[in-house]
Amino acid sequence: MKCNESNFIKRLQSKDEYALEYIVDQYLPLIKGILVKVLTPVRNSGLIEECINDVFLSVWDYSKKFQGDHTDFRKWICSVAKFKAIDYYRKASKKPEYSAENVDVGTGRSAEDEWIDSEERAEIIQLMNTLESVDREIFMMKFFMGCKTEDISNKLGLTKTAIDNRIYRGKRKLHSKAANLRLGENGL
Amino acid sequence: MKDIYELLNGMDFDESEFELMEISEVEKEKVKRGLKKSIKQKNRSSWKKGAAAAAIFVCLSAGMVGMTFPAYASSIPVIGDLFKFLDTGKTGMYDHYKEFSTELNMREESNGIKVTIQDAVFDGKTVSMTYAIESDKKLAENLLIEGSPEILGSPGMAGSSQVTRIDENHYVGLFRSTNLNQEGADHVNMVWKINSLSLPNSHTEIKGDWNFAFSLKAADQKEEVLNLSAKKDGVQVSITKISQTPMSFSLFYNQTASRNVRNQWDDVFVELDVKDNLGNSYSGEGNGGSGKDAYSMSWSSTFEKLDPNATELIVTPHVQVRKHTPENHGEAVITADGEKREVPIKQKPGKVKEDIVLDAMVIPLRD
Repeated sequence: MKCNESNFIKRLQSKDEYALEYIVDQYLPLIKGILVKVLTPVRNSGLIEECINDVFLSVWDYSKKFQGDHTDFRKWICSVAKFKAIDYYRKASKKPEYSAENVDVGTGRSAEDEWIDSEERAEIIQLMNTLESVDREIFMMKFFMGCKTEDISNKLGLTKTAIDNRIYRGKRKLHSKAANLRLGENGL
Repeated sequence: MKDIYELLNGMDFDESEFELMEISEVEKEKVKRGLKKSIKQKNRSSWKKGAAAAAIFVCLSAGMVGMTFPAYASSIPVIGDLFKFLDTGKTGMYDHYKEFSTELNMREESNGIKVTIQDAVFDGKTVSMTYAIESDKKLAENLLIEGSPEILGSPGMAGSSQVTRIDENHYVGLFRSTNLNQEGADHVNMVWKINSLSLPNSHTEIKGDWNFAFSLKAADQKEEVLNLSAKKDGVQVSITKISQTPMSFSLFYNQTASRNVRNQWDDVFVELDVKDNLGNSYSGEGNGGSGKDAYSMSWSSTFEKLDPNATELIVTPHVQVRKHTPENHGEAVITADGEKREVPIKQKPGKVKEDIVLDAMVIPLRD
């Protein structure tokens, strides 16, 4: 049976390679569009190819984490692509020869970047789970999806100041929790 | 606890800031292959656990393959329908070729390179065949095959060839060979001798010996003689025959030009725009042609499968007349003792080219 809009998610979740081929056919033009836009400043076409592979492979590996119908899937796979692209961008621009002009980081690298780059992503995600759902969404958009504060404020219908305040408070909360976590580890 | 993939679930995504990229079939295929390779590498360890069960399965299937193809064990069936795959412009021209083709799976190996003819189909005039090349070494993007397939007993042939790299070790391609002197044949004998593969980018040549010989029965053909013509500005195009097969149809046509056109232009080139009464547009490929000079030629073109519900074909000839200029034309004469002499081009005055669209001709289709 052919893969189509209504059955590909189930088939993907049951590790059917035809479903993987189907999503490549369907989403590659869009995924590549996202990766090219984020990764072009890095000037490394091999990186884009590597990232394409990584995006689809992650979707394959974590397909069970997805919930929803095919319109939700489109948003999900795009979000995975953008998150991966930013991740690759951050790793690549660690090298000094690349400028960071296209990412919303202001002057130099921020503490958040260092923090997210760190190998302790699992820990960060664990901490993110402790935030309220609105704050969590803001943090996801801001630090994992590279959205500008302005875009987030448009999407959520909150003022920019409100977003900034929430980020500030959220950061403080995370910092204190992270500090506790570290203390706890050291104490062992 | 939610992980990043679960957290990404609820994200709203604005696609409008991104553009869709154009992706070729080859690129898609490369991505798919890369993914399958990565999945396999990941699964390798878990495969070992089921090794005993897998071994039994492999034995069984090897036995079955052995019975079907005693001489040639096929190992390149990565792409099911090469005809469709190689239709890079997505014209649909080859959509029905695979189902009417003969699976040959003939393989020759020489110098570490395996050449496999996969499928071939003959429509009474043109042989179309797909092939795959597998190398144990990494090879460059461009590859040229020295040696074309030949139709035995044909005094005049035309052909086209296309080869595409899938990855560093694999290429696939499509050859079309047309017998200019015969149509409506019921079978064909082909030979294909490849002496070397050359890689123009690295100026290297891989010598070897890959020889194939096979016969093909022609697909069912239905021919109808026609007597239609259209004329404009001194150029006449006549359609003389239509031939239908289950996967395609071909139009046979002639062109002639008036004295005036001959004096003014150096060559005349006709292309047919084919539609049916249901509004379908048919894409096709020229099979080459022959004639006594550049003005009087007999051509044929093959188009994709006809819509069975169509009752009329509407054919509009688009004619391009051109002048030779040093930029668009070169000619050379090679004498019997191998001396090569370039023919200088005398450019005629005026415009370099002009397009003429002739009146449409209507071919009634009967069952």
